[in-house]
Amino acid sequence: MMMYELARKGLKAAMEEGADEAEILLVEDHKTSVDIRKNEIEGAKENISQGLGIRAIVNGAVGFASTNIISHIEDAARSAVRSARVRERDPDWIALPSASKYPEVSGVMDPELEQMELDACLLQTVRMIEGAGTVPGVIVTSGSFSRSYGKRLIMNTNGVEVEESSTGISGFADVITTKGDVSTAYDFAISRNNDLDFAAIGKNAAELARSSQHGISIEPQRTDVILHPFAFADLLGSTFIPSIDADNVQKGRSNLKGRIGEQIATERISITDDGLLEGGIDTSRSDDEGVPSQRTEVVKDGIFRSYLYDTYTAGKDNVKSTGNASRGSYFSTPSVGPRNFIIDYPGLDVIADTDKGIYVNTVIGAHTANAISGDFSVEARNAFTIKDGQIDKPVRSLMISGNIFEMLTSINGAGTDIRKVGGIITPSVRIPGMSVVG
Amino acid sequence: MYRVDFFDAKIIEGTTTSIVLDNGNIKEVSENYTKGAGVRALSRGSWGYTSVDGDFDLNKAIGAASELAVGMDERSPKEKVDILDISKPVARNMPHVRIDPRDISLEEKVKLLKEIGNRAKIDGISSTSAVYSESSYKVLYTDSTGIEGEYELMRTGFAISAVASREGMYQAGRESRFGVTGYEIFEKHDAFKLAESAARTALELLDAKPAKGGNMPVILDPELAGVFAHEAVGHASEADLVLEGSSILENRIGQQIASPLINIIDDPTLHEYGFFPFDDEGTQSQKTVIIRDGVFDSYLHSRETAAKLGGQPGHCRAQGHAKPIVRMSNTYIDNGNSTLEEMLEEIRNGVYLIGSRGGQVNTGEGVFQFNAEKGYLIENGKLTSLIRDVSLSGKTLEILNNVRMVGNDLTLNSGRCGKGGQLVPVTDGSPHLMVSEALVGGA
Repeated sequence: MMMYELARKGLKAAMEEGADEAEILLVEDHKTSVDIRKNEIEGAKENISQGLGIRAIVNGAVGFASTNIISHIEDAARSAVRSARVRERDPDWIALPSASKYPEVSGVMDPELEQMELDACLLQTVRMIEGAGTVPGVIVTSGSFSRSYGKRLIMNTNGVEVEESSTGISGFADVITTKGDVSTAYDFAISRNNDLDFAAIGKNAAELARSSQHGISIEPQRTDVILHPFAFADLLGSTFIPSIDADNVQKGRSNLKGRIGEQIATERISITDDGLLEGGIDTSRSDDEGVPSQRTEVVKDGIFRSYLYDTYTAGKDNVKSTGNASRGSYFSTPSVGPRNFIIDYPGLDVIADTDKGIYVNTVIGAHTANAISGDFSVEARNAFTIKDGQIDKPVRSLMISGNIFEMLTSINGAGTDIRKVGGIITPSVRIPGMSVVG
Repeated sequence: MYRVDFFDAKIIEGTTTSIVLDNGNIKEVSENYTKGAGVRALSRGSWGYTSVDGDFDLNKAIGAASELAVGMDERSPKEKVDILDISKPVARNMPHVRIDPRDISLEEKVKLLKEIGNRAKIDGISSTSAVYSESSYKVLYTDSTGIEGEYELMRTGFAISAVASREGMYQAGRESRFGVTGYEIFEKHDAFKLAESAARTALELLDAKPAKGGNMPVILDPELAGVFAHEAVGHASEADLVLEGSSILENRIGQQIASPLINIIDDPTLHEYGFFPFDDEGTQSQKTVIIRDGVFDSYLHSRETAAKLGGQPGHCRAQGHAKPIVRMSNTYIDNGNSTLEEMLEEIRNGVYLIGSRGGQVNTGEGVFQFNAEKGYLIENGKLTSLIRDVSLSGKTLEILNNVRMVGNDLTLNSGRCGKGGQLVPVTDGSPHLMVSEALVGGA
């Protein structure tokens, strides 16, 4: 109740100051985390955060202000109006979203997580350390457990009023070998429900670090490369996803401009952006400006179907928003961002299906890729040679380079090992003839 | 009152204004007011931490952090942690702000940013963006040993990027300058020239050739060498990483780990973007030599790591009111006495790598990968073809040892460094470096 009254007060202040339209986003978040440092629990953290962001529109110009001092809501509203007044009218501005019916979503609010006590948090953290401990000669250098419970209210002067509650839980572990050859690895998992296997996070990371010891060097070559979901998701996030962002497209910053309807990937691939996926990390009834969430076909059987839009970019192209307004925080204005981003490719035992090649678990430096051209050159971590359908030897140091758009057309295999890597949901994929430099 | 061995609090209050220009149009004008506190409490070997926003009750927050610390200690007791005692910090050597940006109207700032954007919009450039930001905040620190300190700091800066496209190929050029300064930053740096320079870089790269990978001698420009100093050496010398077993520099103090030509320094007292008068646990800032004449001299410490390993604290920082961790400030490789011309003459054939598009490092294994903005082939001591999508990777200690010449043209670049999910302002820099062998990655 308190949140609604506050939001109405802010909207009223903005309108009185001269806004034509206004919007308030209010968030409250309660997060508990437990940190691991060198196989021991270092301590626990509680972050109680709140904040609000206000968009005010004056004569087709948008102003924005934010604060975490809730009692300053009216000052922030006036500041947003002031910001709008220094801008000229934006001819592309149409309006804030209007009142809508919202779909129901499921699997995003787990009362067990909302009420989770410190003891339970601690127990899960200890399980990660114990999981890693099942592999001799490996320790967790750093790691953390976290659970959160939050509420969000979006209200605007066009009748939007949507409130949601959600929970989340995650764990990650960075490990290192303590005997013999130094090797590191990590694993993580995230969910909206209390269903994670924390011992497995520690154990997977530890086994990977151990099997990566005594890596060999390999000659520069072109070969089949299988990318684990972590590696592939990292590359997609830095290259392909920015290319389907309507804002980048409209500004000439995308290779996919004007290519709707074209074959841009192998016909065996389909890609869906899904704001409604049950239990998805990016699932919610509305996007971050109150547009109902939906499923959007991005690529269907290799054919490029749709960009992702928020209300503003949709207005420019005269289409409907795909419900992809995204805000990193209450202090950010909305911009286009993916929801649950699902890669679909018929799966098989892709390692067994590969005579010779390289398996790459993770990459470092994906954010250095050229998002526009799609070119990347990254360091492969925890990589292995594949021989006669089996993982053979670890590889010490390896650079892999290529181009995401060429990769999408050439992928010729995928695993059955589908993982949720944050909001990106993908199997491992095989790319033929990739350039590797050892 | 609280059953803990130590507690402290950082209270921060401030305002940030930013303007974002996109293709000549103002995309965003925003103001943010923030106030919050981060409170730590230590019970024997366990930390409790609480952060609160807005109108908070500090005593309640200290109580909550203490309860967490005590609770953790009861449930998983471990070896006691000591916190080094320090003397009361003084906010001295503060940067002088000549033109307070809050005295300049929002209209005037918008106008200036638009002109900067225009300068980048030269023939062949398909899109441009520019950002201006200013922040002014007050920090208050207090701890259970009676230490107290307070200061106010202003940060301003701008960034420009330009994208050139031709036949489906896109290349970008970027420039940015940020500092602990007022609006006079636009007098110190010619934003118009930098905008033109970002645009020219993007255009040039359209005609650049993809690089061929392999092991070869290289020259690093000051920006890329600075990124190496920060990412590969600076992070590995952070004592928290050393203590958790994630640094190749563990147990290396006093050892020759680099060419004797190499001196690496972290200095928060410099009036650069990474400046602070005292860190976020109240320690007076001071210059730290990390590597002296190739010998590893010191880790970077917090009060906890300094008590444990021996050394000077003063490098513990937090983003806003997050929990402080060991961080760098202004990190650089100090000047030597060579010139770029001498390096080209000496190297004969190789690659000259320029600028940085970021990178990553694994401090535990001591391996890194950085993407340069561009490069030139060096043939017979001359810079010849421009190359793009070129990267540098390898082992930190090998590169340090392979440095053959250090330039006399130290330049610092401002940026933000991420660690543990927190971003803090830093600068890094170096003179030109000549390295006898490094792994260059190409497309």
